[in-house]
Amino acid sequence: MPGPKRTLSIFSFSKTQKRFLKYCLGFFIPVIIAYFILELLVLNIPINYKVFGTYLDTHFQEIEVMALGSSQMKCGFNPALSDENAINFASTSQHHNEDFHILKGTIDRLPKLKYVLLEVSYNHLELPHHPNDYWKNTIYLKYYNVNAFERPTWFKDRLVYLSNPRFYSHKLMDYYFYKTDHSQLNEYGFDINNYEGAFKKLNYDETKIASHKFKIIDREDTAIFKKNTAYLFEMLDYLQAKKLKVIVATPPLYKTYLKERNPNVVQRRDIVLSVIKKKYNNVILLKEETDTLQFTAKDFLNENHLNPDGAKKFTALVNQKLDSLN
Amino acid sequence: MLFNSFSFGLFLPITLFLYWAVGFKRIKAQNAILLLASYFFYGLWDWRFLLLIVASSLVDYFAALAIKSTESNGKQKLFLYSSVLWNLGVLFLFKYYNFFIDEFAVLFNMQQGEYAFSTLNLILPVGLSFYTFQTMSYSIDVYKKRIEPTRNLLNFLCFVSFFPQLVAGPIEKASDLLPQFSKKRSFKTEEVKEGLRQILWGLFKKMVIADNAAYIVNMIYASPEDYGSLSLLYASLLFFIQIYGDFSGYSDIAIGSAKLFGFKLSKNFNIPYLAKSVTEFWQRWHITLTRWFTDYVYFPIIQKNLRSNIRRNIAIFLTMALIGLWHGADWTFIIFGGFQGFLIILERTPLSKERKSSLFHKSAIPKILLPFFSFSFITISSILFRSQNLSEVKIILQRIFSFIPSENLASIINKRFIFFLFIMIALEVITRIKDFPLTQIDKYVNRPTRWIIYYIFIFLIFRYAGPKEDFIYFQF
Repeated sequence: MPGPKRTLSIFSFSKTQKRFLKYCLGFFIPVIIAYFILELLVLNIPINYKVFGTYLDTHFQEIEVMALGSSQMKCGFNPALSDENAINFASTSQHHNEDFHILKGTIDRLPKLKYVLLEVSYNHLELPHHPNDYWKNTIYLKYYNVNAFERPTWFKDRLVYLSNPRFYSHKLMDYYFYKTDHSQLNEYGFDINNYEGAFKKLNYDETKIASHKFKIIDREDTAIFKKNTAYLFEMLDYLQAKKLKVIVATPPLYKTYLKERNPNVVQRRDIVLSVIKKKYNNVILLKEETDTLQFTAKDFLNENHLNPDGAKKFTALVNQKLDSLN
Repeated sequence: MLFNSFSFGLFLPITLFLYWAVGFKRIKAQNAILLLASYFFYGLWDWRFLLLIVASSLVDYFAALAIKSTESNGKQKLFLYSSVLWNLGVLFLFKYYNFFIDEFAVLFNMQQGEYAFSTLNLILPVGLSFYTFQTMSYSIDVYKKRIEPTRNLLNFLCFVSFFPQLVAGPIEKASDLLPQFSKKRSFKTEEVKEGLRQILWGLFKKMVIADNAAYIVNMIYASPEDYGSLSLLYASLLFFIQIYGDFSGYSDIAIGSAKLFGFKLSKNFNIPYLAKSVTEFWQRWHITLTRWFTDYVYFPIIQKNLRSNIRRNIAIFLTMALIGLWHGADWTFIIFGGFQGFLIILERTPLSKERKSSLFHKSAIPKILLPFFSFSFITISSILFRSQNLSEVKIILQRIFSFIPSENLASIINKRFIFFLFIMIALEVITRIKDFPLTQIDKYVNRPTRWIIYYIFIFLIFRYAGPKEDFIYFQF
């Protein structure tokens, strides 16, 4: 009579377990396939980060100016109009900690980099930094090869759809289904068709704009202010050590927005700017926030973002500053 | 490692695979895998936390053995007190020390540097309040001779660190969970499927309901002065929904994960929004915590004076205030707990000597409206739970009761979210006698229909999950 089956393996599965394993595989394989289809579809959408990444890879030896900041800088600075070869890494909600990661992660790849355009807008210093699991870190890793996670990365960190399924689901629907994506990115990733904002809907009518409601953060937070200011100085120290010239810019705001700003937040920010001016000889300021003479309603997308026409004017002002630095 | 993370999605099947493969007929191997997996799971937050959990486990393991080894009541008490002192000391140091130092300074109007003790810069280890209570109850139960101490260190370490319930409960009694580590576990397909279904339901509650509610709540609570009465009330209501989805979702994932390994954990929620009174609410909400405080705080206080109403009311108030304090070192939590205690006392107090009815139970309110009545008290008190400090509570309450118009209310009500919320409530209410809505679904529908239902839930989780938020109870 044959004895019981003997095996040296420490693993042993019962028939029930094997059957269940097959059942699970049968269930989950379609989920995994569906996910990877979504991932491929997302990667196929021409988003600005992808264009920035491509531009970085193909023009790294020529780039002299790097712009960093949030959506205000993203909408305000068009590298195509810059006198020097530039790249604009600014993106929506990007804060100084992400800026610093991008700067540190790309600086060694840019042999000709001379200038950095930095944004310190109205409440930049009183908004908390994003945590180091911020969803955009995947984008920085995937497209710029910059690790902003502050830890070793693994394959999951490169899965774009998974980083923010909600955001990318909207993108997928807009791009493939509703076809509502009107953006027209130039080779620098700047959207030259970015006019579809609140002001266009109001026909740039100043009376209508005056009664238009918008959201502005007027909450003060001195603890965050202290932390963010220290971080900004750390960033400027780094730029000074790297012998880079810096333009610290405050992008233009529309007059209705200017009126609603919290004066304490503005005052604290302005004090920081004046300290920067005194402390760093490699830094010049481009204070355009209150420039209501050059920037009119037709230059704005909404109360705090420029449209491509406004960007043309703002980029020209950046060019003037760059000239003065040369 | 969070339950709603990709890492956990890999960790769980790998652990499960090793557990059932290696451990087939080998309990020790299974427990060793569970212990390693649990320490890995916990150590990912911060490896230093492991030192504390191992130390806590060893203190209670040896304290229980020492209690058993002696006949002298004095010595037994000494060992018990050592264990309790250690557990409460650790909890006090990491969770409450800074609060008490700060309050002491405020009380005596002292500036920093004027008092001998300074605040400490310590990180609160994740889940400290949960496992401390679990281990402490073990020593107490051994002392009270309710259970026999275990001599198997591996089993005890597993009992303290069992990863599905380590960081946010359910808080298990040693008599319920510890023996399960000594029993042979057999792989039951139905049980494992139940576990997976419960995890799916928990993920839906956490990611679709709680995280979407959190998005609105966080926005409104970030600047309450920008919102009117109804918006603030709506945010408070949503916060209750958020915390319910978050914590009961967590509990479902924990109980479901434990089922995959052949363990049974206690039920932690029982549709609390159907409670007809505040007392009943606490019998349906975080059941294992209420049970712990009832067994180890409330009963010992009233033990000899069951008939004394005053003593009983004091016990209720104290127990509830301590439950509040358990949640966090802040006056908002203490007042939250105290307020709950006050409401429970009010419910138990007869209106007059002739009529033995309490204020709520036999009032003029129709029975069907009772859940709305108690629910409104809970919603209002959740403002205390959510606010950062008492001045924020004051601002919110002032604005709510000033009846300030809410012009932006329509913009913060998300119809899709309301629809998902309705789905959750409807499913839970319809299946209220069961553990969770998807339980035993195979009895009612065939496999293709079941799979379609599962795929729909997976799709909803992927497509409509809110911005990722940590589990609220992890901070406790």
